[in-house]
Amino acid sequence: MGFVGYDVNRYTPRQMMVVPAVILLLSLALLGFNMASFGMPVRPGIDFSGGTAVTLFTPDSAEQIRAAFSAYPLLSVGEGVNNGKYLKFGPMDDASLQALATDIGVRYPDAKIDQIGASFGETLQQQALIALIISFVGMTIVVFIAFRSFVPAGAVVLSAFADIAMTAAGMSLVGIELSLATVAGLLMLIGYSVDSDILLTMRVLKRQGKLEEKLAGAFRTGIIMTTTTIVAITAMWVVALVGQITVVWEIATVLLIGLIVDMMNTWLTNAGIIKWYVQKRGGK
Amino acid sequence: MSMEKIMAIVSHWQVALMLILVVLAAIAIAPRFEGGKFTTNLQYGLDLQEGTWLQMEFKAVVAGFETDKDPGDFAKAIQDQTDAEVYVLDKNKIEIRKYIPREDLETVFNTAGGRLTSYEQGVSKQTAEDVKRILENKLNALGTKDARVNPLVGLSGVSHYIRVELAGVSMAQAKEIVGRQGKFEIRIHTTGNETENVLYGDSITTVGVPSHDSPGSPVWGVSFTLNQDGAEKLQKAAIRTGAVSKPDAHYLDMLLDGKVVYSAPLSPDLAAKLAQEPIRQLYASTGTGDAGLRDAKNLEIHLRAGALPVDVVVAGSGFVPAELSDYFKLMCVVAFIAAAIAVGIVIFLRYREPAIVLPMMATNLTEIVILLGIATFIQQLDLASIAALIAVLGTGIDQLVIITDEILHEGKVPSPTLYTKRLSRALGIILVSAATVIIAMVPLALMDLSSLRGFAIITMIGVIIGVAVTRPAYGEIIKEILSK
Repeated sequence: MGFVGYDVNRYTPRQMMVVPAVILLLSLALLGFNMASFGMPVRPGIDFSGGTAVTLFTPDSAEQIRAAFSAYPLLSVGEGVNNGKYLKFGPMDDASLQALATDIGVRYPDAKIDQIGASFGETLQQQALIALIISFVGMTIVVFIAFRSFVPAGAVVLSAFADIAMTAAGMSLVGIELSLATVAGLLMLIGYSVDSDILLTMRVLKRQGKLEEKLAGAFRTGIIMTTTTIVAITAMWVVALVGQITVVWEIATVLLIGLIVDMMNTWLTNAGIIKWYVQKRGGK
Repeated sequence: MSMEKIMAIVSHWQVALMLILVVLAAIAIAPRFEGGKFTTNLQYGLDLQEGTWLQMEFKAVVAGFETDKDPGDFAKAIQDQTDAEVYVLDKNKIEIRKYIPREDLETVFNTAGGRLTSYEQGVSKQTAEDVKRILENKLNALGTKDARVNPLVGLSGVSHYIRVELAGVSMAQAKEIVGRQGKFEIRIHTTGNETENVLYGDSITTVGVPSHDSPGSPVWGVSFTLNQDGAEKLQKAAIRTGAVSKPDAHYLDMLLDGKVVYSAPLSPDLAAKLAQEPIRQLYASTGTGDAGLRDAKNLEIHLRAGALPVDVVVAGSGFVPAELSDYFKLMCVVAFIAAAIAVGIVIFLRYREPAIVLPMMATNLTEIVILLGIATFIQQLDLASIAALIAVLGTGIDQLVIITDEILHEGKVPSPTLYTKRLSRALGIILVSAATVIIAMVPLALMDLSSLRGFAIITMIGVIIGVAVTRPAYGEIIKEILSK
C-alpha cells in the first residue's frame, strides 16, 4: 500500500511504545477528570441521565424552537443539514411530559420522540457498565486461552484496553455523549481491535521466518483490514451525518475514532511488545 | 470463466452450502412487488416503522426473608401490615405487589418476626408473564395489528420492567390502550335464556392466582372476593331467582365487555350457604389438568377486567412517525450501498485483480443476504441493527483479506498441502477473533438493554455465518480461481 509511510521495523520497542503510553496516560487523566465532574468517564446522554430527545425536520430556526418550548427544560437544540433538528430536554414530571408530547404532536406531527425516566436511566447505566465489564473479561479469557502465553495475550488485552480508553477520551473531546448506541460502539471496538492484534500475534509467533519479514507481512495485511473497515464506516458516517440519523452517526463516530487509535495501538503498542518479547527470547 | 471451473468451485461442499443458504435466504426475504409497492418479509423495529414503545416499571418488590415462622403465616403478617397482596414464591422469597422502600420493608419484616435478606424492585417471572398475557389480551381485543410485549427479566429471575411496542399507534393512544380497563359483569339466568344483572366488576375487591379448590384436588380455579354490597346483591339474586334451591336451572354468567367468558351453576354447598347469609369469598372452578389451568389463567384475567395485578408506571417511551421511519429506511439502504461501494474500491486498489476482488465482494454480500434471511425469522431490524449489518460488512471483508493474504503468501498459489495448512491457519486467526466478538456481544444480547439487543444479535449471527459458512467457502473459491 502506497499511502502508509510507516515502517514497522524501523524503531526499537521502547521508541514504539512511548507515544501510545503518553496518549493513554492523557486519556486516562481526561476520563478521571470527567468521572470527578459527571460521575461517569464520558458525559452521559439522556439514555443514562434521563430526559427526552426529539428528532424533527423543520425550517424553523433554533431560536424559534427555543421560544416555542420555553415552558419546558430544553437543554440544547442540535442542527444538522436538511433542516434536521435534534432537541434535548432534561428530566420532567409525567404531567409536563404528556403536555410536551401533545405540544410536539400539534406543532411538529412528524417528530420522533424518545423519553427515558431518571430511574430507568440509572438501570440502563448499571447494565451498560456490567455489559462492558463482562465483555472485556470474556475477551481477555478468550485471548488467554488462544495464546496460552502471558506476554502476547497481555499485549492484546492491553491494546484493547488502550483502544477503549482512548476512544472514550476522544468521544469527550469531540463532544459525543455516552448513550446506548455509543456503548454498543465501544463494545464493537473490542471485537475490531483484537482482529488485527490476533493477526499480528499469530503471524509473528506461529509462522516460520525472520521477525522483520513477519512483522512487515502482518502490517501489510493488518493495514488493509483496518482501512477497509474505516472506509465502510466512513461511508456510513457520511450518510448518517447528511441524513441526520443520530444513532447511526454516533456509532460510526465512535468506531472511526476507535479504528484510528487501534492502528496506533496495534502497530506501536502491541507490535512493540511482541518485538521485545521475541527479541528477549532470542528469536530472530 | 469456463464451465468446468464453475463446476469445480460448486462441487466443494462449503460453496454448495453457501449457495443453498443464499437461495433459502432469498426465499425467506421474498422481495416482491405487491400492489405496485416493493415489499419483503423483513420485519422492522420501531425506528424503521411507525409506532410507539413504552417501557413500564413494576411498582412491586421481590424480597428474600428469614423467619422461624411458617412462610405462609409470615406472608400473611406482611400482607396485614402493608395492605398489599403478598405471595410466597419459594421458601425464602416473597413478592409484595406494592412498592415499599427497602428501609420501610426491613421494619415491616422485623415486626412480622423475620429478617429481610434481599431486596429487588420488580415481580417474579411468573407474575411478569401474567402481566404480559393480560396486556396481550387487551391489545388483541382492540385489534392492534402489531403489538409486542416483553417483560425484561434480570439474571436473578426478577423482572423490573416490561416493554410494549405498538406498530402504527401514537404515543397518547398507546398510553390510553395500556391503561384502559374492560367492563366486567356477573349475570344470573332467570327463566329460559333470560338473564339479569347481579353485579359489576367494581364489586370485586381481590382476585387470586389460579389454584386448586382444596389441597390435593385435581380441580383448578380462581378465588375472588366481593365487597359487602356485592355479596348481598349475589345473595338476593340467588334467592330471588330460586338458584339457592335449584342451582342447575340458574347458571351464573361472567361477561367481559358484553361477552360471556365463564358460565357455571352455584355449587350445592355454596347454594346452601347463600340461603343463610351473604358470602364474600368465592371460588370459580374451571376443570382439571392443563386445560383447567389454562382456563383458570384466562378467568383470572377476565375477573381483573384488564386491570394489571401490579401497578406500573411509564419509565421510558418513544414514538416514531411514519414519514421519518420511511426516511430512515431509505437512508439505511443508501448507507449500506455507499459502504459496499467504498469497500469494493479499497479492495480493488489493494489487489488490482478482478479475479480476487469480485469473489471477495460476492462472498461478502452473500453473507449479508444470508444474515438478512435468518433475521426475517428472529429479529426485527432497527437503526442499531442496520449499523451492526454495516459493521458485519466491514469485519467480513477484513477476514477475507486475512484468508487471501495468508494463502497468497509471496504472490503465489501454493501446492494443495501447503494450501490446506495456510487456509486452516487463516481460519484459526478468524476463529479467535470471531470468538472474541461473540463474547463481547453476549452480554448485550442477554441483558436486553432495550434497543441494543438487535445490534448484538445481528453482529453475532453475522460472525457465526461468516466463520461457519462463507469464509471457508471463499477459501475454496479463491483456490479454484487462482490455481493455474
